[in-house]
Amino acid sequence: MNSTIRSLAFGLTPAVMLIVGCGPTPPAFFRPNMVEAISPTPEKDSISADQALLPAQQQQVATIMLAMFGTPDDPVCLPETGLDPAKLRLAAGPVRSDIVGRKNGLYREHCVHCHGITGDGLGPTAAFLNPYPRDYRPGVFKYKSTERSDKPTHADLVRILHKGIPGTSMPSFALLSPIEVDALVEYVTYLSIRGETELALMRQFFELDDEDEGKLPETQEFLIAEVLEPIAEKWAVAADAEIEVPEMPTGIELAESIAKGRELFFGDKANCVKCHGVTALGDGQANDYDDWSKNIVKIEARLSGLAKSDADAAERQWAAEFGQVLSGDALKPRTIPPRNLRHGIYRGGRRPLDLYYRIHAGINGAPMPAAKGTVDPEDIWHIVNYVRSLPYGLDGELGADRTMAMRPPTPAGLASTEED
Amino acid sequence: MKRLGGIFWGLLFLAVPVLGVATFAIAPSIDVWLPKDVSVHGREIDALFYFILALTGVVFIATELLLFWFIWKYDAAARGDEKATYIQGSHTLEVVWTIVPAATLLFLAIYQMNAWANVKMRRPDMPPTVEVVARQFEWRLRYPGRDGMLGTPDDLHLVNDLHLPVDEDILVQLKSMDVLHSFFLPNLRIKQDAVPGMKIPVWFKATETGSWDIVCAELCGWGHYKMKGRVTFVSRPEFDSWLVRKYAEQEATQPAPEPSGTLVTN
Amino acid sequence: MGSIRSGYVWATLGCVALAPGCGSGRIVGPVADAAAAAALRQQLLGGDKTSEVAAEAAPTGTGWATLQGRFVFAGTPGERAVLVVDKDMEVCSKAGMKLYDQSLRVDPSTKGLADVVLFVRKASRVKEATPPAEPLVFDQKNCEFLSPVFAARVGQPVDVRNSDPIGHNTNIAGTAFNQLIPAGGSTVYKPVAETGMPISVTCNIHPWMKAYAVFRKDGYVAVSAVDGSFSLADLPAGEPLEFQVWHARAAGGLKLDEPELKWNPKGRFQVTLQPDEVKDLGTLEVPAAAIGG
Repeated sequence: MNSTIRSLAFGLTPAVMLIVGCGPTPPAFFRPNMVEAISPTPEKDSISADQALLPAQQQQVATIMLAMFGTPDDPVCLPETGLDPAKLRLAAGPVRSDIVGRKNGLYREHCVHCHGITGDGLGPTAAFLNPYPRDYRPGVFKYKSTERSDKPTHADLVRILHKGIPGTSMPSFALLSPIEVDALVEYVTYLSIRGETELALMRQFFELDDEDEGKLPETQEFLIAEVLEPIAEKWAVAADAEIEVPEMPTGIELAESIAKGRELFFGDKANCVKCHGVTALGDGQANDYDDWSKNIVKIEARLSGLAKSDADAAERQWAAEFGQVLSGDALKPRTIPPRNLRHGIYRGGRRPLDLYYRIHAGINGAPMPAAKGTVDPEDIWHIVNYVRSLPYGLDGELGADRTMAMRPPTPAGLASTEED
Repeated sequence: MKRLGGIFWGLLFLAVPVLGVATFAIAPSIDVWLPKDVSVHGREIDALFYFILALTGVVFIATELLLFWFIWKYDAAARGDEKATYIQGSHTLEVVWTIVPAATLLFLAIYQMNAWANVKMRRPDMPPTVEVVARQFEWRLRYPGRDGMLGTPDDLHLVNDLHLPVDEDILVQLKSMDVLHSFFLPNLRIKQDAVPGMKIPVWFKATETGSWDIVCAELCGWGHYKMKGRVTFVSRPEFDSWLVRKYAEQEATQPAPEPSGTLVTN
Repeated sequence: MGSIRSGYVWATLGCVALAPGCGSGRIVGPVADAAAAAALRQQLLGGDKTSEVAAEAAPTGTGWATLQGRFVFAGTPGERAVLVVDKDMEVCSKAGMKLYDQSLRVDPSTKGLADVVLFVRKASRVKEATPPAEPLVFDQKNCEFLSPVFAARVGQPVDVRNSDPIGHNTNIAGTAFNQLIPAGGSTVYKPVAETGMPISVTCNIHPWMKAYAVFRKDGYVAVSAVDGSFSLADLPAGEPLEFQVWHARAAGGLKLDEPELKWNPKGRFQVTLQPDEVKDLGTLEVPAAAIGG
């Protein structure tokens, strides 16, 4: 009898633990940008403890964000953001359906597990993906039809949802209805505006005068006119900021255009080979980072520098706290290799137009520079034609079907700042 | 008191065939049945399915009823102290109920060979209509383009939205970019694993226009459940003009003029 | 008996193994004040922006003045770090030349601290309403930027040059400018927005190249020269001017010990100038502790 009860108890306890779980699930909440709260400057090179936001200041930012943007289940959009609240309601909140044929909670159904509930690219599956999912909070998007530092247009984001991003884990959502795609794009814009506002608020503490006593003024003039409106304005004007693309030059044979493009690819105006390599396998350089990883690399370099120097106890405690925040709130930085152009996989789209945009404006958030102003539009088209011919091989093989050539090992003496 | 026990278990076992038959009887009316078949070879496959269902159904009901009857008839409580007859078994019965199922299964095996060969062995001699590359978690499509060859610059690349001509033989070249997937067209009775490293031909012919599902039928990761595509069958002229239109979009050198208020759709 | 005991062991281990799964590795952030947020939201949705407290009449004066001084480094600068150069070695490591980190430049003879940025946070008036048309030259040679820190006025053309025989691209963080500059070529950039603190300028082809840029709307910004001296002319006189001081190794503001200037921990000081005054702040000692990293 005794032993029966004992074995029952021991057997049932894990089962009960599994079933009951670890407690009630809290309602979804936006995570504050803890990395920025501890280093609230755009330049992360020489951040120090006295710049970090105090807990009271962090709480003020969280309160303002709750006031201006609401919660994941109940989004709020001030009219100055230019967002449509009906579309946000469709995309926000838990997955549920009150009306036959209409599903709410689209973002949580399709996007949260990679992009995170806050749009910070820190969803549960994010750490397993290469490349990492996009963090919307800095407001930087790579594949668009506008100039480098402009926001993407609505159509650009719709296009990404339709096509997915080949070569990454971002799938195509072409099978969703246009209304659902529209709602998701609106919600992503909302998360991006929210993230940028949070960054701006955190960085404003440094600009305060002494009389403000370390508290941001909670006035319409400051919060809306000074902080929110410049951000929302950039989204509003994006549609008019599309790059003007001249027609592809006529009166020139494709083979001739490809030959010209090859000259430019190897030339020193466009400098393509410097990063993409002479074989265009993307092996010209392997030690630069995209903006998201670069911030973490700089922070980590600074923290390790502090650990080596004789910093005082406050600095060291701040560094330890920061290290803890990084382990939970930041993904391990990865170098961004230049694109292997022999693959025929173009992340931002395979139309000649898409390649023109990439070369003309570069890629925002990535090291790819803009050729505009240095390379004439006609010459950009020649480079586009050359690049599009690359997967089909110069050796007579059908490039896209053959296995990728072995990348040469990194030469000795190439010190990398991060171990992979 | 004890008799009730016997009634209980007997009725419990009787419920199995009764509910089983009832479920199958009402299933078609609540749309829980085979998906609509729009393929040429699907008829044969469905016929086989129904034949096996009928055959096994009859045997199932018979054995279940027998089971119930034995529980009911030979319930110890009803029979008091009657001792069970000890028999050594019946050699004849053993032979009968081995030979008959074996013969049935042999018949089924031979009967279905034609259907299997049609779907998996008698490959039509034609170049691939489209190459489907399964990838976590989407279906990447590549049409050969005007030169009829895959892997040339005039190929059309699309994702998830497979268009095909109706009433024509279709040959799909199936590949996988990463892990095992399975190309499953429920409405065409086609299911073929996409094995990394292999190019597997899949052929079929549709008899009706319309849009149907492509689903993944081999667990491939966390997104397996939403790895859905759509196959649309249209008339040949519509298909050709769709190819031309999609290719022009792919080769666009100017942004598409967007009528205000509508979205870019595929 | 033995099997029962091992069963207990496994069950206990199982419970223990499950327990760690109940925690999340992430630091819990601040919790917003829901009531305050609701009140703030009401205020933001209602009301109009123009009803704010009228701005106090800013004290203004007349005339213009000049501010000058010299930054001197009180400590000893350590060994300069050697930059890792791994590209275009025939130009960037020509004849074994080494490239050094330029973030701390101290003149050995005068101990002057170069590349200290000084700018006015808020000026009520400007002497010249239009920015100068004369372009500011920002050049790069031997795979390094020739000016580690440069300042320009918003709207003033910056002539970004490349005097190397190889191509570079100049990436001014946070702006629209990330441009390829061909060998021997140049591009003109006109800043359109003012920066807060200086922003970094890099080259993506040669990632070791680093400089800083600061753009101000009123143009009241100076960068200390090699000997540490700076001079800001045409400053508005008769009003308290708050200056922000920055150094690449003191990004949160350069903190000096100068109580008469009301030097505050954010690296700011205040000064009121008289018309036509040339105020010399003298030698401003920068303690070694102020320069971090």
